[in-house]
Amino acid sequence: MCSDHRKPNRRRFLSNFAFAGTALATGVGSWVIRPDWANAAADPIKVGIATDLTGPIGYAGNADANVAKMVVKEINDAGGLLGRPLELFVEDTASNESVAVGNVRKLIQRDKVDLVVGGVTSSMRNAIKDVIVARGKTLYIYPQLYEGKECTPYLFCTGPTPAQQCDEFIPWLIKNGGKKFALPSANYVWPHTLNVYARKVIEANGGEVIFEEYYPLDQIDFSATVNRIISNKVDVVFNTVIPPGVGPFFKQLYEAGFLKNGGRLACVYYDENTLNINQPAEIEGLASCLDYFKALTPEDPVSAKIQAAYDKQFPGTFLFAAGSAATGTYRGLKLWETAVKEAGKVDRDAVAAALDHAKIAEGPGGPAEMVPGKRHCKMKMYTAVAKGGNYEIIARSNGLVDPKEC
Amino acid sequence: MDNLFTALFEIMSFGAIVVLVVLGLGIIASMMGIFNFAQGEFVLLGAYVTYVVHNAGAPVWVGMAVAPFAVGALGFVMERLVVRRFYAAPIVAMLGTYALGLIIREIVRGLIGGLYISVPEPIGGSVNLGTMHFSSWRLVIIVITALVMASSYLLLARTPFGLRIRASLENPSLARASGISTNAIYGATFAFGAALAGLAGALIVPVFSLFADLGLRFLIQGFVAVMVGGVGSFAGPVAGAGVIGTLAAALPWVIPPVIADVLVFVLAIVFIKFRPQGLVSGRGV
Repeated sequence: MCSDHRKPNRRRFLSNFAFAGTALATGVGSWVIRPDWANAAADPIKVGIATDLTGPIGYAGNADANVAKMVVKEINDAGGLLGRPLELFVEDTASNESVAVGNVRKLIQRDKVDLVVGGVTSSMRNAIKDVIVARGKTLYIYPQLYEGKECTPYLFCTGPTPAQQCDEFIPWLIKNGGKKFALPSANYVWPHTLNVYARKVIEANGGEVIFEEYYPLDQIDFSATVNRIISNKVDVVFNTVIPPGVGPFFKQLYEAGFLKNGGRLACVYYDENTLNINQPAEIEGLASCLDYFKALTPEDPVSAKIQAAYDKQFPGTFLFAAGSAATGTYRGLKLWETAVKEAGKVDRDAVAAALDHAKIAEGPGGPAEMVPGKRHCKMKMYTAVAKGGNYEIIARSNGLVDPKEC
Repeated sequence: MDNLFTALFEIMSFGAIVVLVVLGLGIIASMMGIFNFAQGEFVLLGAYVTYVVHNAGAPVWVGMAVAPFAVGALGFVMERLVVRRFYAAPIVAMLGTYALGLIIREIVRGLIGGLYISVPEPIGGSVNLGTMHFSSWRLVIIVITALVMASSYLLLARTPFGLRIRASLENPSLARASGISTNAIYGATFAFGAALAGLAGALIVPVFSLFADLGLRFLIQGFVAVMVGGVGSFAGPVAGAGVIGTLAAALPWVIPPVIADVLVFVLAIVFIKFRPQGLVSGRGV
């Protein structure tokens, strides 16, 4: 009706195009943090971070980028690595694989980084690993808990694997929940692969899987599933449904009386970020098994120190939590630091050879060491239970747990 | 027997939620001929307002009461500033409203830090009948949906204001010639549709928790509902929403959920192929 006086013309188009072009060329989602000491004789060592700063899992990516900034600053403040400062390059993978590949290519080809840390989802890792490792000839550290089976050379995983999350956790669930398990799951690679392992451990420990079912990733009504759980008198719901579905799912379970009848919720990606999805009463007694919980800080001074440093530098919504790969990022960068020190250079093969058996004595949740030849990381694991909106640690692994991968 | 009642209740409650969400979308689509792709974000804003008010220390129901007015006001402003310019080009309007929705969604994502946040329901717990448990809040949603549906119908069918809306839809030039300000009517209708979305968001946020993609989740279902129901009338989209919501909740009871998800859309496409005008054809109320 009144659209005729705003016809697009050539000049307006060109000026808009020029603006958009500039924004694209400089990259709105990338930034560089240069070391603040300029007296270095040699060039800085370049550390690349490729993580989801925007999009649905931005909360995890931002926490990971924060951890990287913190660790790099710590290393620089202590005099750098091999007498050289570290320079941090952060690229946004935007929770979108096709955007990510382009941005990661920038890290490799334009910035020529010596290491890439990042990726949160498995699909992201699969999308960017070839760009980094094969065509990019660069070292890659993947920091998130995941389904295992990633055995690409020069790709090191520093998050927990199914073995680490299930071997001690599931026997505990059988003892403190019951023998009848339900495996409701989101329909993508992590739940499918994790469930194969979990089922094996459940059955080996005398438990039984009543049903294993997969749902579309955006399903938010679970009445049929809840009914199946209640009518089959399931003892333990070993959940791999992810947000947004998990909130309504746990709420419907609660309303159907699952917890009141003594049912136990279990979910191995649940950390401090996910606690707020439900009211505390709806997930009372939920058990999780991860490499770190904030509840560890009173008993572990090293964890307390790292947590305090993070909270001081980055107060706000992006938490230092295991489920968002923040602990894996910390561990990965520190292990890499040790490896570079041992190798005495940043050459990929030399660092990879040293990283293969790298160890750190201090990390979130305890020490960590790479298993030689496996490119996966041994670490301590903790079982925690949600009580009144907080976690309480109720079991700790004896020493470091083997990832059992590759 | 118990199972059957539980199933019926759950299916009906999800149907009611979809109807509630689609109501505003349907009114804007039918009464103005605009497919508002920002409708999902109005739902999100309703949820967000509820959260903000609750977070500031007020009881949840206060937030729920404020949400429709806040979102309605924003809808009014947006109609004045942006949507108004698109009436002549409905296809461009889709893109324009989509862009608006994108902006709102990403702003909210920034504000809540991309997290999933729970908002408690004013009436929690469940009503127990024997071994069956019915969520109290879902019961409340069913009741409010029925009330909102009835009063929207009365507003459009029985009041002078409703008459003007329908007149402006059916023959804008004649309406203007008769002294009706179609501009003002369009503004009010859009605001009303937005307010309904705000109310829907406020009511469903305790069920689904607050997250940036809350509205997006319902947008596609909403449009399928409008298509199945038929554009042009009030009853059409509501009927469509009832059908789509019920199907989406009922199918997972009988077939694997991954297939059910797709099947809803397949059925909708097949239906529209054979009855392109939708369930309710014709214009008006």
